[in-house]
Amino acid sequence: MAETPLRARPALDGYNRTVGAVALAEVSGLALVSAAVPQGGDEAFAAALAEGLGASRPATGDSTAGDRHMARILGMQPDQLFILFESPDPDRPAESVLAALGGAAYVTDQTDSWAMLRIAGAGVRSALERICMLDLADEAFPEGRVARTVMEHLAVIILRDGADSFLLMSPRSSARSFLHAVELSVLNLSE
Amino acid sequence: MIIDHPLLGPRDAQEFAILGDASLIDRPDWQAEDAAKLFHDYLHLRDNPAGEHRELWFHEQGDRSWLVVTRSTLTHEVLKVELARDVAIARGRDR
Amino acid sequence: MSGPFRFDGGPIDRSVSLAFRFDGRSLSGHPGDTLASALLANGVRLVGRSFKYHRPRGVFTAGSEEPSALVELRGGAWREPNTRATVAELFDGLEAFSQNYRGSLRRDLLAVNDLLAPFLSAGFYYKTFMWPKSFWERVYEPVIRASAGLGRLSGEADPDSYDKGFLHCDLLIVGAGPAGLAAALAAGRSGARVILADEDFVMGGRLNAETHEVNGRSGADWAAEAVRELASMNRVRLLPRTTVTGAYDHGVYGALERRTDHLAAANGKPRQVLWRIYSKRAILAAGATERPIAFGGNDRPGVMLAGAVRAYANRFAVGAGQRVGLFTNNDDGWRTAADLARKGVEVAAIIDARDRESVAEVPGARIVMGGRVTATRGRHGLKEVALATGERIGLDCLAVSGGWNPNVHLTCHHGGKPVWRDGIAAFVPGDLPPGMTVAGAAGGAFTTAAALIEGHRAAVEALGELGLPADAGDAPGASDEAANVAPFWHVAESRGRAWLDLQNDVTVKDVVQAHGEGFRSVEHLKRYTTLGMATDQGKTANVGALAIMAEQTGRTIAETGTTMFRPPYTPVPIAAFAGRSRGRDFRPTRLTPSHDWAAERGAVFVEAGAWLRAQWFPRPGETYWRQSVDREVLQTRGSVGICDVTTLGKIDIQGRDAQEFLNRIYANGFATLAVGKVRYGLMLREDGIAYDDGTTARLGENHFVMTTTTVNAVLVFRNMEFARQCLWPGLDVHLISVTEQWAQFAVAGPNSRALLGKIVDPEHDISNEAFPFMACGEVGVCGGAPARLFRISFSGELAYELVVPARYGEALMEALMAAGEEFDAVAYGTEALGVMRIEKGHAAANELNGQTTARMLGMQRMVSKRKDCIGNILSERPEMNREDGLELVGFRPVNRSEELPSGAHFLSIGAEAAMANDEGWMTSVAWSPELGHSIGLGFIRNGHARIGETVRAWDGVRGRDVAVEIVSAHFLDPDGERLRG
Repeated sequence: MAETPLRARPALDGYNRTVGAVALAEVSGLALVSAAVPQGGDEAFAAALAEGLGASRPATGDSTAGDRHMARILGMQPDQLFILFESPDPDRPAESVLAALGGAAYVTDQTDSWAMLRIAGAGVRSALERICMLDLADEAFPEGRVARTVMEHLAVIILRDGADSFLLMSPRSSARSFLHAVELSVLNLSE
Repeated sequence: MIIDHPLLGPRDAQEFAILGDASLIDRPDWQAEDAAKLFHDYLHLRDNPAGEHRELWFHEQGDRSWLVVTRSTLTHEVLKVELARDVAIARGRDR
Repeated sequence: MSGPFRFDGGPIDRSVSLAFRFDGRSLSGHPGDTLASALLANGVRLVGRSFKYHRPRGVFTAGSEEPSALVELRGGAWREPNTRATVAELFDGLEAFSQNYRGSLRRDLLAVNDLLAPFLSAGFYYKTFMWPKSFWERVYEPVIRASAGLGRLSGEADPDSYDKGFLHCDLLIVGAGPAGLAAALAAGRSGARVILADEDFVMGGRLNAETHEVNGRSGADWAAEAVRELASMNRVRLLPRTTVTGAYDHGVYGALERRTDHLAAANGKPRQVLWRIYSKRAILAAGATERPIAFGGNDRPGVMLAGAVRAYANRFAVGAGQRVGLFTNNDDGWRTAADLARKGVEVAAIIDARDRESVAEVPGARIVMGGRVTATRGRHGLKEVALATGERIGLDCLAVSGGWNPNVHLTCHHGGKPVWRDGIAAFVPGDLPPGMTVAGAAGGAFTTAAALIEGHRAAVEALGELGLPADAGDAPGASDEAANVAPFWHVAESRGRAWLDLQNDVTVKDVVQAHGEGFRSVEHLKRYTTLGMATDQGKTANVGALAIMAEQTGRTIAETGTTMFRPPYTPVPIAAFAGRSRGRDFRPTRLTPSHDWAAERGAVFVEAGAWLRAQWFPRPGETYWRQSVDREVLQTRGSVGICDVTTLGKIDIQGRDAQEFLNRIYANGFATLAVGKVRYGLMLREDGIAYDDGTTARLGENHFVMTTTTVNAVLVFRNMEFARQCLWPGLDVHLISVTEQWAQFAVAGPNSRALLGKIVDPEHDISNEAFPFMACGEVGVCGGAPARLFRISFSGELAYELVVPARYGEALMEALMAAGEEFDAVAYGTEALGVMRIEKGHAAANELNGQTTARMLGMQRMVSKRKDCIGNILSERPEMNREDGLELVGFRPVNRSEELPSGAHFLSIGAEAAMANDEGWMTSVAWSPELGHSIGLGFIRNGHARIGETVRAWDGVRGRDVAVEIVSAHFLDPDGERLRG
């Protein structure tokens, strides 16, 4: 992240801990911007996404990778996507996306809305089955799949970003409660 | 309870918030002659069927789609799930 | 033998001894034992006293249906009452206690109740303790409580932790007996995702309790091998010690897994996990439960179910007695005699209720066909039985079999009614929950061969329905055993009471009496006699009781019907339902960006929904909350104050039709809001009642940002999505919450502009001319950090709200306070915020309480009649627009030193305090440090026209009656000069 005049505080203060077969770590430095597709603007959006980020538009519940800024496009809603990327201007990521998409979408900065926590390792699904009601088996939730759901009363966006790796995003204000819930799920395993 | 989301497949009802009767889509014309009566009926009068019932559910902890869920109040069987937006457009609400 | 009651062989591991204590007595058992099998192995037959009559009771069954052997386990805060000894797995150091006696278990002083039995029959309490009414709470109830009941609660908080979880499968198999194992093998070998759950700690079901063979080897060995194979399959999940307790909608099942109950200590891990299992198909292979025959004294320790006696012998290598008899109405019971004889136990007598030829020769056994047991003897355990012929036979154990009842419970959870099948004299499942099939004994197929075939077939069929490949091979093979049950429920010639429900102490006579008093329905019978209403839910009692009811009424059992089975199948601790949601983990906590900063400065916090907000910031020497609040208010109004208002809901609204959309959402017009401006907005419900308010800023042609109240943030968003998708799907408008994105601080007071001049980067002109009241815009702060600035005021002062990305929130708070040092800037909390808004006459949640119209708030002129908006039409209803309606005004005490009572009702001077004279109520009060007296807001009839009038604020709850003067709601700066300055 570039030099900023105000001290930035990560939602989870850079939390990083491995318990048994599960590693938990806050992900910081990634920008997150929502892009809403104007009515009747689907074709223009697809073209802009290909042109500006080198990505195709994912279906709702799926994600695609772009070839610029390490971008991953998450299909969150029928007319709204999230773009997870390394922003050239970390303080103004929405403007970066706006520039890349040339006005083909309404963009909103979501970077600070969500605490990001990566949970990875062989025991990851055993830990998540204590709090996540979604079926995370390979056939139901393959790599690249994304969903918004609820865990321990909290909204969570879950992206499978590896065979044994998930990126979890939950609202920043309740990030400590969320971390506690995930951490407890790992600690509660008997192994 | 499981709702078979038309875009996302089966999802637990815990992710949803229910509003009520799908007739709430049919909001009356505010300039109608008898608008006050129409709005009264729209807001307060409901059928209470034993059997098929169309309900509005919001996938709040999901893709934020409003859905029209057709459900049997006798067996709890979910018979049909549609995007409420599609239902609204089919009823001419986009005009 | 390793003791008089312990045989050689069997799966018990004798190389390890487990020491345990029962009522303080040191005993020992082995791995593989339950507490019940270990007690029996030690010759302990008396294990508790019954619920009502304090009758001596022993082990009756070998499973979760146990009505009788209820004990307390562990000690201190871990003490758990009413645990079935038959399912409590033995571990080294286990402490168990018998329950429900006074004095000692052997000499229970309350056994006197048994002598009073003639007076304590069904309905006794209902009939006897009716009057005088006052005696119920003070006399009857405490006495009955002290004598009836079961174990004792620890009285302490549960020291264990509990968890929940979610599992998914193609096929859930409930029960791992022969049918369940055959089903799991068929599905697992085909590659399906399978969950196999069994309440026992060893899978195999009756195969472990019997001597049947499967595929030419011992059933128990075959089961162990099957479990090993299933454990090696990565798509099969085995859940031993897991009871599937309920069948819910759409293939969802509830299951309780006991993870540490078999260990001496949980070591910080969850004791139990309550699973929600999502299945595409389910096979109920829950087996069957044996039922007793009722006869005189059939509750005496030593009288046991025949299948249980066999289970103790074959699985646990325990002899339930040394001289055993059998009382049966079917061939299956005879297997007990055969198995015991093979173990070398003396089988003294076989009494078969059927009048037919003997089933088998059992050496040394007196065989009585067409026989009846009429009575038993033995003070603390069986010593002798008497037959209808008058013959007496000395026995220390009587194995009883009245046939088997399929475990249909889960098939009833969607309302399915079991149907009677004459051939097996039992109820079998009726209509099944969608997606469920039944296999084996649970469906009435009682032989091992049939169970294996049905389990296998059910799995293959389920896979076929799911379109999954079935590559299951052939079903395992076994022999068909004869049962030949002839219905026989109770011995009419019984001497003494014949027991049906051992846990709730209900006898045959109670059922007959209930019938005599006019009860016919089984549901009424159940509630009147309490039969089947104990923690075992009458698993061994119900069918016998309704057979007797059928006999009394002259109907068939099929006509009589059964009671309804509901979840849970066996008891589930409330703690398991609570899971983690205890104490501070009851719900999540939301923290503002300045939370840690505030906590370090000793702020007092208040809950606002899930949020914790700083309520006030005490300074050294301040001992009373109002000292802090008054200071915060005066310093803000005198110079400048800063408050974290991040909790407000914030919604980003974009689209070509965003403006039109807002125009329809808000009651007031938004068609003319210019870019760079903010407007107050009032939202109505469709019924015309005021719903929420806030400000909306126009950041660009197609870009708005709305604030909502903290509490309504989620609901307003939901309603707006409804309007967007369902009401006006043709509008191009898009919503996303940015509540969490931005840290938002109110900077209020005459020096707020001067303070912000040091924070906002100099290229942004924030002078009154360039950035007037209700202006907004994007700015840089502290040398380039992104921010938004809104010139809005809740306090009535010159004020701004400054917004930065949440990660900078804490640093901005520090920067604001540092920059404010020269102005003596103060951080203020929600109390000071509330005082200032009351002084200014702004409505908040107290006023927007779901009863309020725009007219009541003085905003009726804001509701545009020239456009469609939510609530517009119904807000025109005459009752909501009465000229003499309630209006929001201010109040001050006539005697300025008096405090105003919040919630008080207004009465005209001299009017009686009665509903008819009610003129409105006080919604909010505060102490105004600026004015030096108490002030209030409230709704009163025709309020604006009555300014200057004196009325009473009457508070009947707190006994207050204060003369108050009606004044303007704007206590300070009524013309708004400060905020525009």
